[in-house]
Parts: sequence; structure tokens; C-alpha cells
Amino acid sequence: MNTLRTIAVGYDGSSGSEAAVRWSLTLANATHSTVIVLHAIGLLEHLYTAYPRDVTPPAIVAMAKELAFDEQRLHWHVDDGDACSVLLRAGSSPLDADLLVVGSRGRGQRTGMLLGSTTLEVAEHTLTPLVIVPSRFEED
Amino acid sequence: MVLVVNQAYDDSGHEDSGHPERPERVSAVRAGIDDLHLGSDLIVVPDRVVTREELTRVHDSGYLEELAAYCYEGGGDLDQDTYATFSSWPVAKQAAGAGLAVIEELHRRGDGVGFVVTRPPGHHALRDRAMGFCLLNNIAVAAAALRSLGERVLIVDWDVHHGNGTQEIFWNDAEVLYVSTHQWPLFPGSGAASEVGGRLAIDRTVNIPLSPGATGDILRQAFDDIAAPVIDSFSPTWVLVSAGFDAHRADPMGDLHLTSNDFAAVASSVANFVPRPGRLAMFLEGGYDLDALRSSVHATLRSVLGEAVATEQSSRGEPRGDYVTRVQRDRLAAIEALYSSHDEEST
Repeated sequence: MNTLRTIAVGYDGSSGSEAAVRWSLTLANATHSTVIVLHAIGLLEHLYTAYPRDVTPPAIVAMAKELAFDEQRLHWHVDDGDACSVLLRAGSSPLDADLLVVGSRGRGQRTGMLLGSTTLEVAEHTLTPLVIVPSRFEED
Repeated sequence: MVLVVNQAYDDSGHEDSGHPERPERVSAVRAGIDDLHLGSDLIVVPDRVVTREELTRVHDSGYLEELAAYCYEGGGDLDQDTYATFSSWPVAKQAAGAGLAVIEELHRRGDGVGFVVTRPPGHHALRDRAMGFCLLNNIAVAAAALRSLGERVLIVDWDVHHGNGTQEIFWNDAEVLYVSTHQWPLFPGSGAASEVGGRLAIDRTVNIPLSPGATGDILRQAFDDIAAPVIDSFSPTWVLVSAGFDAHRADPMGDLHLTSNDFAAVASSVANFVPRPGRLAMFLEGGYDLDALRSSVHATLRSVLGEAVATEQSSRGEPRGDYVTRVQRDRLAAIEALYSSHDEEST
């Protein structure tokens, strides 16, 4: 039985988050899972340029096409909050993700550390299985 | 009545070029206070250093050590919104200590109203994490200090954003009542009416989410109809306010349509629950349009000091139908569900 129904992956436009989306789509192709691409709208993004809530970013659409991923199983979900809180909420209702996926580093992260602070915080608090994708995944 | 404020301190080191949470905000608030022309009725209390024990009532010690070390190493971005600099740790400690200094002075006098003019703001700061421009939860530090003295503390938060940090810290504390009015949906994504407190503090959290575009008449009606009865039965011995002014219609951070007079009106409603003089202290949270911040602080303080307010008109909008009924219904359903699950576990 396939229990990996829903994969939620964090996306902030950084190369690290693109690598995480790519990895998620690859896995979901193999497991026939649904992929929810999550984007958190923080205080500054609300103030300046927010990603549209209803339109999947072209970079994600292009990646799905490249990997021949069924677009019916790809969902773009924008939520208000900091990235850590939005990712943690994805493990419970209504998204009920079975797996969280994050890049090792995103935008606006602490410098000088192996992992970004959002990634570390999610790893510390999540009750949902978590995969951390290294940025090099895209290059390999 | 006197106004008690904290002494200005050098917060210039906590700044990130172009960031809206900037030192000029404090200057705007100080100007709003100066506009009151209080003379000798303005009491300025000296700095007070917050102790580690006072901080660890609301923050994990590991987080405090990590934040201090990060700052001393030069700082940087803590998340997509929140920054820290080399100076942020001492500045944040000054902010937390300032609230305690104002409260102690109010207690000593047994009179007056307090206003804590500090930055960075605090109400998003979680027990173990900085968030939403906030490093230390200043109002929570003050409320916890009062709790340690056996006080029952009401915290009213009228910032445009939900004070998720304050809510989390007192989620299961029956001696603290947290009441928040805020825009929803909006950062930080929490603050639904169904969030009513933990099992040990059912109905000690009152969330009043407001739709974008909501005006002051809706806010006042919601506060009077939903929050006031809960506050009345709670009977606080102290009242603290997370006074954010970013719900003003000119503020770029939110989409509510309040005016300075609306803040004055809700402040007046809140002041009705202060049990005796010297038991009301307000803490600066958000507010990023400097003119709106100055006029809103001025109007709010005039109101709680018992003077007539004559600035902007109060705002009024379209009738919102059964808005209050819907919020009440969601709250009561959540409270009932918590009691039911508690009963099931007991049997």
C-alpha cells in the first residue's frame, strides 16, 4: 500500500528550495504522490512583492514539465507566516502532509552555518518525517 | 493623571538599512508623547537591567544563549523578516528591562498610566525563537514578572498582526487572559477565533480576527461584545497592552482601515477594565508609518489620560452582518470541544 500520499515542500525562490522541489517531484513520480509546493508570506513580502496566491510560479511549472510530472498532482499553496511555522502546519489538517521536504538553505538565513535556521527549526520541531535536500542535488 | 515612560536608550545599533523596523519609529512615538505637553505629569524612569531569571520565565535559556552568541558574532538575518546585529542583544535586553522599570514605578506610585517606548517589538517572539522583527517578548517578560507576584494579568493586543508569541507563552496559564484583535488572514497565520487557550486555561485566549478593510466600528463592537464579557469575569488585577499601531489605514504593513481616533476609542474601552490607578501599561509593538504612529500614540494616550481626543474621525464601514455572531460561534464550539475532550479523558 502506498502511504506516501502527500509531499509538502518549502519554496522561497532560492536555489536551495528549487533543489528541494526537484527532489520532491522526482520522488513523487516514483511513488505517485501529490506534491504541495508551500510558500510562506512573511511581513516583508507582504509589504513589498508577494508571490501570487493562485498562480504557480513559472519556475515550478517548468520543472514539472521537464520531469514529466502530472500537473494534476501538483498544488501551489501560499500561507501567511514565517517559513518554519508554515512548514510545520503542513503536517496537520487541512494539508496533512506525510512528508516535509526542505532545502538545506533558503533566503534570509543565518550565515556561516551548514544548515539554514528555518531548516534547523523545522527539524527540531516537526512531528512529520522530514527530508533535507542539499543544494547540490540540482547540480548532480 | 501622570504618564510614566521609560528613559530613552541608544537603540541605533539595532538597525538594518531599508528595514521598516527602524530607530525613527521611537522618535515618532516620543514626538507623539511630547505633543501631549504634560510638563511635570510626564515621569521618565531610568533604565533597568532585565535579569536572566526574568527572561527565562518566558524564554528557553538555550535560545537566549544562542541569540546572544549570534549577535556577538556580528548577527545577520534570523529569518526572512528578522535581523540581528552586533548590538541587538543589549538593545533587546534594554527593551525587556524598560517594561519592568515602568511597571515598578507605577506600582510604587499607585497611580498613572505607563507607556513603554521600545524596539525591537516583542509579541511575535516565541519561547525558543525570534520571529516577525521580534527578539525578546517584552510584554510577556512583564506579564510573567507580575504573575510571579500573584497578579492576574490581562493582555490586550491590538496590533494588526496576531501576537502568536504571547499567545503561545501563556497558552496554558489560567492567570493570564490574552485578547487579540488582528487582521486575518495575515502574518503570522495564527489567531483564529477557535484558538481559545490550552486545556489548563480554556477561554483564557480570545482571538478576534478582522477581515481586510475592517473599520473601527467593527473593532469596537467586536471588543465590546466578545472580549468585554470574558474580561469582566476574569477580573484582572493588571492590564497590559501590546500597542501596535499598524492597523492604521495609512500603515503599509496591513489592510485594516483604523484611524488614530479608533485606537483612542478601544484604549478607552480597555481602560474600563483597569482595577485601580497605576495598573495599566502599554508596550509599543508595530506601527511603521511615522505620521500615523505619532498621531495614534498621541490620541491613545490622551484617551487613557482622560482628555478629549480631537484628531482624525473614527472610521465606519459597511455593516458586516452577523460577524460577531460567527466569531462567537467559533469560539464557543472550540471551548465546548475542549471541555468535551477533557470529560472523555476523565471518564
